[in-house]
Amino acid sequence: MSVLAFPPPVESEAAETLRAEVRAFLADANAARTPLERAESWNGFDREFSRALGRRGWLGMTWPKEYGGHERSAFERYVVVEETLAAGAPVAAHWIADRQSGPTLLRHGTEAQKRAILPRIAAGECVFCIGMSEPDAGSDLAATRARAERQGDGSWKVNGTKLWTTYGHEADYMILFCRTSGTPADRHEGTSQLLVDMRMTSGVTVRPIHDLMGQHHFNEVHFEDAVLPPDALLGTEGQGWAQVMGELAHERSGPERFLSSIQLLIELIGALRGSESLAAQAAVGRLFAHLVTLRRMSRGVAALLEAGDDPTTHAAIVKDLGATFEQELPDIARSLVDEEPDLRSTSDFAAVLAYTMMAAPAFSLRGGTREILRGIIARQLGLR
Amino acid sequence: MDDVSSIIFESAQRLLSDLSERVSAGRPMADCERADGWRQIEEMGLPFALMSEAQGGLGLSDAEAFELVRICGRNVVPWPLVDTMLANRFATQGGAAPAEGPIDTLGELTAEQKERAALARAMQMAGALDVILVMTISHVQERSQFGRPLAKFQAVQHSLAVLAGEVAAGQAAAEHAVARLARGGAAATLAIGIARARIGEACSKAAAIAHQLHGAIGYAREHRLHLYTTSLWRWRDEYGTQTWWTRQVGREVLAAGPDAFWPAVTGA
Repeated sequence: MSVLAFPPPVESEAAETLRAEVRAFLADANAARTPLERAESWNGFDREFSRALGRRGWLGMTWPKEYGGHERSAFERYVVVEETLAAGAPVAAHWIADRQSGPTLLRHGTEAQKRAILPRIAAGECVFCIGMSEPDAGSDLAATRARAERQGDGSWKVNGTKLWTTYGHEADYMILFCRTSGTPADRHEGTSQLLVDMRMTSGVTVRPIHDLMGQHHFNEVHFEDAVLPPDALLGTEGQGWAQVMGELAHERSGPERFLSSIQLLIELIGALRGSESLAAQAAVGRLFAHLVTLRRMSRGVAALLEAGDDPTTHAAIVKDLGATFEQELPDIARSLVDEEPDLRSTSDFAAVLAYTMMAAPAFSLRGGTREILRGIIARQLGLR
Repeated sequence: MDDVSSIIFESAQRLLSDLSERVSAGRPMADCERADGWRQIEEMGLPFALMSEAQGGLGLSDAEAFELVRICGRNVVPWPLVDTMLANRFATQGGAAPAEGPIDTLGELTAEQKERAALARAMQMAGALDVILVMTISHVQERSQFGRPLAKFQAVQHSLAVLAGEVAAGQAAAEHAVARLARGGAAATLAIGIARARIGEACSKAAAIAHQLHGAIGYAREHRLHLYTTSLWRWRDEYGTQTWWTRQVGREVLAAGPDAFWPAVTGA
């Protein structure tokens, strides 16, 4: 059979019923958002919107009810995720928590951690940030230098710096990946994950890092003798690497990895509507074919996740192809529509084009660079 | 997939791969060898495989029929087997008798017949894409330069990762169209257009990378790679060129306009 076969997506009637409900909700809740705001995709931050999703039972959907979840399938969750993204809804206040922090807590957390935090995530009341990258540990995550030392009373003293921490300035919690023994030379050994209460911990400084557009999503988070309670340890001491790899599989597997530019595609179709241009038809037909195919593959990854299979390689393929698709869009739009990109333009097309063009470089960096993903795929092919 | 169809798939794979092995690249088959090969294909009933059971076919479902077509794509043989399978299906559906011997051209087709033939080409491409991926992986593991296997060079690893991604995407698009065939009408037509647009592009990229990584060796007539890459270059433009199919999809999407776009994606 095929070297890397993708399982077919699971068609579910419950998921399609839910889709109609989500669309009806978004038509109302998201109506006031301009196309330029929609183009921000998963960077849009709005706690009230996240609470509204939580009230409808659309966060923590697959988790057990005893932790505030709703015990629905991964396919139903997929519907909520893709519909909110396609509509350009502001998802950032629940995004990281619902996608990866919650599942990591569910898998590795203590009973007390799960009871304290998961219901708040499911209610849309709890913002998480990711504590992985560092100034000297980007793609090479195992080079992490941030360190938590166990104190005599069982508490942890943390020193080090995390970087590119999206919405660290809004976050209630961080899952910190750091060294708890040994040295960076030990690589995967001696690393752990710790739960950091970003509101209550002293010795934590969050400094903004502005992106090339001047927007503030990223931060540098500096720990200086920050003390975490003994029960801050998440999962098993020394098993941080294995845990973080599982978390990354969740981070890389979703439809956000090919829908970041969708607002531009919608504006492009608006600008070309009814066009008899053969070049326009060929370009749009190609993009549509790519999108439908990526969606099928991504839903196949959801089927792998639901079945409990390891989706790492399949997710890497979807993310690599997806980022390439997202990044091609601005130049394809420029080649078909004679309009200057301009963030402040009254033309939605011109503004969304300008935004997407400047957002695009990040698509193949965040969540694992293109080079890292291709290394993962090559390993699966037996080349490494 | 039931036991009967998996037996059919296994014996077809065995026979076709055996016949495919006998094709030495760059050398035509002797007449007697040709006649003997086609006789074996007929004995297995493959030319009649896509006909209904009542007319002497194998009674395969659409999904199974296209799986058999994928197996044909995996094994390049010197007869137009898939075209013959299609011609016999179309002939017997119209009340005519199946043909003697391999059939090169299908003649005038209805729109629905053309779509089925186009989807068959997509599934042949899906099969052949697998082969060039496997051939390329083997080649870079076996061939050494600068004292180490090509597979150990990061540039080679990343090229192969791209090749694997294109193969996976092309296959997913073709499989999607087979799954959508049951919906019939415009939905099936659109899915076939999507498949041909996507897998056609996958063929271009995959064949280019396969040749690049095989080096000059793979460009030689006596190497088997070209049996597959030249087939892909031909198939991607038959029963509607890739450009024609892609424009059909684009025209439909543009006519529906921006508000209908996302519902069209989830409905496709």
